[in-house]
Amino acid sequence: MAIHYILVLNRQGKTRLGKWFNNAYTEGEKQRYTSEIHRLISSRASKIQSNFIEYQQCKLVYRRYAGLYFISAIDISDSELASLESLHFFVEVLDTYFDNVCELDLIFNFYKIYYILDEVYLAGQYQEISKERILERVRMLDKLD
Amino acid sequence: MKGLTQFCMDIRNSRDAQEEHKRICTEINTLKGKFTSSTNGSTRKRNVCKLLYIYLLGYNEVKEIGLRESMKLISSSVYSEKKLGYLTLGILLDHENNQTTKEYLDGLLDTTYPYLVKDLQANNDEFNCLAIEFIASSLNVSIDENFVVNPIINDSNENAADWLEITDLVYSFCCSPIHSPVIKKKASLALLCLIKIYPNVILSNNNWILRLLNLIESEDFGVVLSAVPLVDILIHLSPQYVKSVVPMIATLLHDLVVRDKCPIDQYYYDTPAPWLCIELLSLIEKCFLLTEIDRDGQQSPVILVTDIDTNSLGKLRSVVARYIHNASQKIKGQQNRNAQSAILFQVVSLIVFLDASKEAIEGAIHALVLLLDSKETNTRYLSLDALIKLIARSSVGLQPSSISARFEQHLSKIFILLLDKDISVRRKALDLLYTVCNSENYIPIVQKLIEYFPSSDFILKNEIAVKIAVMAENFATDSAWYIQTMLKLLSLGGGNPNGTSYIGDEVWVRIVQIVVNNENLHSPACESIVNLLLSDTDGASGKAGVPENLLKVAAFILGEYGHLIANESDISSLSNQFQLLLSAYFSSSLVTRAMLLSTFFKFTIRFPDEDFVPDVIDLFEAETQSIDVEIQTRACEYLRLATVESNKNLALAVVKPLPAFDRKENPLLTRLGNVNAISNPKRSNSAVNALQIAQEGSHKNNLLGLNEQNRSSNHLGVNSISSSSLASTSRKNSMYQPRRTSNIDNPFEDGNSEQVPLSPNWQSGYQRMRHYDAGIFFENQFIKIVYRTIRDGPRTEYHFTIINNAAKTAGTPITKLRVLDIHSKASKENPSYLASTTKLPDATVIDKTEFVVETKVREILSDSDSPVISMTLTCGGSFNHLALKIPVSLLKTVTGTSTTLEDFKIRWIQIGQQLGQAEGEESIHISPPHRLVSSNIARLMTRIGFTVVYNTPDNEGNILVMSAGIIHTSKSNYGVLITTKSVDAIGKEFLIVIRCTGGGLATLLAQSLREILEDRAT
Repeated sequence: MAIHYILVLNRQGKTRLGKWFNNAYTEGEKQRYTSEIHRLISSRASKIQSNFIEYQQCKLVYRRYAGLYFISAIDISDSELASLESLHFFVEVLDTYFDNVCELDLIFNFYKIYYILDEVYLAGQYQEISKERILERVRMLDKLD
Repeated sequence: MKGLTQFCMDIRNSRDAQEEHKRICTEINTLKGKFTSSTNGSTRKRNVCKLLYIYLLGYNEVKEIGLRESMKLISSSVYSEKKLGYLTLGILLDHENNQTTKEYLDGLLDTTYPYLVKDLQANNDEFNCLAIEFIASSLNVSIDENFVVNPIINDSNENAADWLEITDLVYSFCCSPIHSPVIKKKASLALLCLIKIYPNVILSNNNWILRLLNLIESEDFGVVLSAVPLVDILIHLSPQYVKSVVPMIATLLHDLVVRDKCPIDQYYYDTPAPWLCIELLSLIEKCFLLTEIDRDGQQSPVILVTDIDTNSLGKLRSVVARYIHNASQKIKGQQNRNAQSAILFQVVSLIVFLDASKEAIEGAIHALVLLLDSKETNTRYLSLDALIKLIARSSVGLQPSSISARFEQHLSKIFILLLDKDISVRRKALDLLYTVCNSENYIPIVQKLIEYFPSSDFILKNEIAVKIAVMAENFATDSAWYIQTMLKLLSLGGGNPNGTSYIGDEVWVRIVQIVVNNENLHSPACESIVNLLLSDTDGASGKAGVPENLLKVAAFILGEYGHLIANESDISSLSNQFQLLLSAYFSSSLVTRAMLLSTFFKFTIRFPDEDFVPDVIDLFEAETQSIDVEIQTRACEYLRLATVESNKNLALAVVKPLPAFDRKENPLLTRLGNVNAISNPKRSNSAVNALQIAQEGSHKNNLLGLNEQNRSSNHLGVNSISSSSLASTSRKNSMYQPRRTSNIDNPFEDGNSEQVPLSPNWQSGYQRMRHYDAGIFFENQFIKIVYRTIRDGPRTEYHFTIINNAAKTAGTPITKLRVLDIHSKASKENPSYLASTTKLPDATVIDKTEFVVETKVREILSDSDSPVISMTLTCGGSFNHLALKIPVSLLKTVTGTSTTLEDFKIRWIQIGQQLGQAEGEESIHISPPHRLVSSNIARLMTRIGFTVVYNTPDNEGNILVMSAGIIHTSKSNYGVLITTKSVDAIGKEFLIVIRCTGGGLATLLAQSLREILEDRAT
């Protein structure tokens, strides 16, 4: 399995998005992982250290955007840089969709973030890598009611 | 959604956690009353959304009500309500504690099955999408390697029919010609999840796989991208398709990368479809890594580079070359740089499988070394990782001087990275040094690491020590160098009496093992130890005493062998040795003291006349009062043994010289395995390298690389700790377990491949091929295949030309034409013939295309072993699969001879005498469907390849045809003589008698001739 989960956490450790592609985790594990990962990542020196850490048989790949950490947990054998850029791609999609995305957008439209995510990734795999096509489809779906 | 935004604002504006909590509890209470049967859809949607938000904030008491209401939303006919319903359900459902994966999935299916089926069958693309997305999200589970043998769901499960129905529905979206790419890509990924759960569905529907493999050639790149993981699992399930998948991927990559045919919307900044390229490259790598268990029970790869046709291989190599070239250019922008580097790393891990030239590998090394200068930690870290992988893989089977020797010039760069700002980079640099280490560069590497050791990170120290120890042991050829280096290492990081040590016990234990087992090391080791003890205990040096680990080695070695150097100088006298050890005694740990007591005891018993013996006895007496039980026990026992005269013989028996160690494993290697498992499982595989290094070592005369010849050459021979045991230990520890996807693992595989159903009307082409060397092989409304045979002894080339029949009638091209497989029925371990495609057809056929199959008969075979060519093609939206048999027959290898009638008669008798009738002769009655005259038979024999020696004229009543020829196989050639006589007067019944120089061969030929003459194909 490629991506096990994607998390968006703010600096205080609040979850702004939690997508668990791998359904093996229990509720307790999800909570524990989230807080451990926040502790792990927020303590790292961004200037010096890499954006990758190994954690629980996965590799965490993360990048900080303003006050938010975007984190993706991938297989040990998967490409770190590809995942890192994929997170950036996802952020760009959000940024275009919300026109300068900020944390508040993710709060008020929390369910929409999941909808958008479902167009970029599915089953822990890349589904679409064309920004235009993703945005076109999301906007089309917005009109369906 | 109004109300929701307000609620979110309220929570955000709460002054403190308490107020927030209060606000949420109030909201939960209000919401509970709001769901009634009369609640309308949009209100329910809004309130469920609030519930979901509350749940995400960590209030799981709303779970139950949320689940109930989400089910109601799912059954709504309004899109946005249904969508929120599925989302809520997906988020609220969790794997429960102590629940098996099967229980989780069954529970999920129970609740959602009717809704999913309804939405999958709905005549609304977006409803279909929602159900598919839900399947891909909530039914996605991780699987282990045994998922085929031990599936989550199998045919005997109660709900297997339900799973089958869902899987079937999702499958039909993947291959539907009418659905949009959006549904197809989602369905491919959902199908991937379902196959993981219930693999037998795909295995029992053999034709599904062929259609699904086609997805990777879709025009829509989203579909291609989503199909990659699906194809990955399919070739795991049916490795026989690997060979046909590689050319498809090669073409795709070549188009994307070399021919610049990437659609503009697939670019990420300036890089064409980076994720797709990476996925495709990694898929090819997985093809090469795929193994199956062969008859000997060994893991063997499914494909090798030699199995790939030259065209595809050329494409792959040019893709690799392009990327390596790109990497040496200046790239602007971080996104581009990252994308390009990510691809480069993927390319590098593939390159060694492509049988790349030394130049190509050097080019890759060069590109990676350039990246080591990057300012970005990510890039430095990953470049090191890629280098480790490249060198580990490319040094297999090569002499140490080839790859890593060229690495020499880069060593200094890696030494600098040992001081990188980031510890993960430092650790990787260490791993890389370990990987490149060989018999030519070990000295500078080991010395550098010893220099580095004192300033290295605390948590890396033990790892460094273990690596130094293994490298020194594996490569050193100079025993003095080895001992000095290792003792130096111990004295540097030897730990202190409090028991804290940077170096694990394995290191000193190993040194002792090696010294004990190598007689010629005994005295040099003692000398070095004495010298080190002298300098360490020298007060002027200001050191804090003798390092603990060094002292342990000293206790052991001097106790056993100290006497060997006793007479060399004053310093090395036993008395001096004793004083040195004694002075360290009281500042050492209890464990070491116990060891030292044994050492002193050995001195006392073996050399009772030494002047220090009374001091030892005093020490034993003192230590009988020790509070440590172990020391007290030893002291008491030793005291009794040393002082009571009647115990003397017993005491001497106690201090008998140590026998050589016969432990089968090196403690260091298990340690190395652990270190690697923690630091970099899978990717770098340093443990695998240990294996390689150990094997390489055995060719040289190094410390422990012992084999038969250097044992006698009086080197550091340790009889029992041989290199083979080193190798086997490291193999055991290596994390690199070949994937288990094999025929043996897969109970369904054999059944499927045995009964490849042949396409209708295959017989006519097959029969024609047996008769004629050129003609029509197959024809239907879409295609016509004609063939031409080129014979060359045991080798036969079949040139097939595929002609597009639809071009004339409808003007449509044939697309996605692929030769999937030539399925040979010959036994695998020692095949009677070989068959391979030497030229592949074009995938798209406007007019015609050609492909070539080459066969080679190795030994006597039966026609029933003939192979089946399997190919797929798409024409005008319809998918076709052809399975056609081609004859690989002994009769195709026949050449004529210039035999006269006289020769014929003489040989006929000779064969009869030599082999007898049972072995050398076979006679059969045949009844051809048509009346035949003498010349018909003579022509037929000539066509097959025989020389007709004699035939009766057509106007005579009795027909007799005598023909002769030679059968060619790789192993041997056989002479064949055939007489054909008419039995009746009308030419419808014949007796054929065959005599042949190969035992049993006549019987097989008779069968083939019968099938040809009676026009039957089996």
